[in-house]
Amino acid sequence: MQGEASIRSAGEIPVSSAARANESLHEDTTAKLFLISSISYFFIVGIIAVLIAAKFVWPQLLGTIPFLTYGRLRPLHVNGMLFGWLLAADMGLMYYVIPRLCGVRLWSEKLGVATAALWNVIILGAVVSLLMGWNQGLEYAELPLPLDVMVVVAWIMFGANIFATVATRKYTQMYVTIWYCLGTILWTAFVYLTGNFAVLFTTGVNQANLNWMYVHNAVGLIFTPVGLAIAYYFIPKSSNTPLFSHKLSMIGFWSLAFVYVWTGAHHMLHGPISQWLQTIAIVFSLMLLIPVWAVVYNFFATMKGQWDQLRDNVQLKFLMTGVIFYLLTCFQGPMHSLRTVNAIVSKTDWIPGHAHMAVLGAFSFFAIAGCYFVVPRIFKTNLFSESLANWSFWLLLIGGVGFFVTLWLGGFWQGWQWNNPAIPFIDTVINLKPVWSVRFFSGILMFGGIVTFAYNILATMVGSKGQSEKSLPV
Amino acid sequence: MLRKADYSAVVFVVAALGLFFIGGILTTVIPPIVDKSWAKPFENSDPSKGVTGKLVKLNDLELRGRAIYVREGCWYWHTQQTRTLLSDTKRSGWKGVDSPISTPDEFVYDSPHLFGTKRTGPDLSRVGGKYDEQWHRTHFKNPRDLVPGSIMPPFPWIANNEEEFKAMVAYLQTLGRAKNWRPDNDYEK
Repeated sequence: MQGEASIRSAGEIPVSSAARANESLHEDTTAKLFLISSISYFFIVGIIAVLIAAKFVWPQLLGTIPFLTYGRLRPLHVNGMLFGWLLAADMGLMYYVIPRLCGVRLWSEKLGVATAALWNVIILGAVVSLLMGWNQGLEYAELPLPLDVMVVVAWIMFGANIFATVATRKYTQMYVTIWYCLGTILWTAFVYLTGNFAVLFTTGVNQANLNWMYVHNAVGLIFTPVGLAIAYYFIPKSSNTPLFSHKLSMIGFWSLAFVYVWTGAHHMLHGPISQWLQTIAIVFSLMLLIPVWAVVYNFFATMKGQWDQLRDNVQLKFLMTGVIFYLLTCFQGPMHSLRTVNAIVSKTDWIPGHAHMAVLGAFSFFAIAGCYFVVPRIFKTNLFSESLANWSFWLLLIGGVGFFVTLWLGGFWQGWQWNNPAIPFIDTVINLKPVWSVRFFSGILMFGGIVTFAYNILATMVGSKGQSEKSLPV
Repeated sequence: MLRKADYSAVVFVVAALGLFFIGGILTTVIPPIVDKSWAKPFENSDPSKGVTGKLVKLNDLELRGRAIYVREGCWYWHTQQTRTLLSDTKRSGWKGVDSPISTPDEFVYDSPHLFGTKRTGPDLSRVGGKYDEQWHRTHFKNPRDLVPGSIMPPFPWIANNEEEFKAMVAYLQTLGRAKNWRPDNDYEK
């Protein structure tokens, strides 16, 4: 029993009390730089996102300008949101969270600042090369080789800084957030090398298999663990409640480490890839329910009796909505991998609905919550506007749900029509036009959410100089 | 045992990478070793064994066309796989003939692979030989002139650039042609 008690407290000590004592220890320059740049890209790439959605409704729009065609904007949208916004925001939050959980300063702010600078060079390089059509032709791995090399260097700089901080930690026990962050750094390294370098030495189905291993795990072993690292820190922190169970955290983490990497081939179900590999991918896709349900149950149980806090706490609104989206998206994933379901939804508009719920609905919501928590504290001020923050939540939620649900219904219908070869393909395109219109207007709402979020954060930063005295409790 | 990983970063790293590598290696390194068909180019001259044909490497012009296909991001919009679904073989078919399914041996030389994940426009795995050059020229200038209701963007800078246009059409006409699947041999050029 004593063991249980000391493990229980592992959820409490670093998160709710000990961090408070050393607040003046932290410089947070790196975290600031990463958050500022990532939120700027969120806004800029949001414009591109709306433009892409508009092109589905008005196909001639900007159609005579080569670098503004759908085929060049889409990789910019995907890479910009994944690496410019989300991963950079996640990294910024890790630069804030990890030193606090370790009770020491970030190992090197200088290295951190250099990492932030390099990251911005990479993103700007990506904008230029993708618009020029310098594209490797592999999904999520579009960036040309020199930029890939720079990503690896930046990742090593990030990883070294975090690992060195953890190595010098004051608290012996590592909180769940630290596991997920270290796991992200390790797995990403190998997943990224596979998807961007190993693929170049292969062709055909072999290359596709490596590509899907990367694509799947870019979400599963990069954005999932770092997103959960954020949720594991900010849910207890924002609600001032200890985490429910250490044991469940362990089940969630170690099962994720084992099962996620097996599932890449489920992107090729019914396609030209060995049936036995498809079956393995299906079996492990179903097992993904284990880490997901362990994590989600832990979060819900933590919030038991605390749900009323959501009324006045915008971070918790984002966090717990993100948890629900995470649960839903990770229920969809295993279901898509069943051969019968896959025969309907695969390659349809259902899939972007699913992908946006994961990346925007779950992981971006976690990151936004983290930004709302962290930015006022590192700028030693209050949030510019609570009501604007609530607006950003409701706009993103309503726009997001509109987007997801429309594309699921539309995509399912589309797949249903495809499976009846008597319907000419073009009729299935024409039938989907109302769906794409609703998607466009949902996109406008989501963009409104991004604008209010970005403006609120910017105004908080700009307004911070005058009111440094009244800072929030850390 | 994993509880040790709470306290020791070394134990943690070993466990996290160990668990990851089991699945990582078994699903990426092992499959091409076990399944030889991934690397063996399609070739069959015996009609009793199914559709005949031979996979040949693309020539320079066709490779140039393929590079334009990659540059313009056509692969975000069109898949190149006739899946093991009846409706796929019907939709990839032509003039009442069903298309054979796509098999790994048809893609041995492809890099980057262009299987695609999203089918906003029709699948192109058997488009080779379905439409002639004039059709493609009109279609690239404005897809809606030939296919009312299409939402494909216009590509005038390809249609009006003779070098790029020829390359693009040459590439498209190779798609799916490793398998000689149309009994009347009625392929357009």
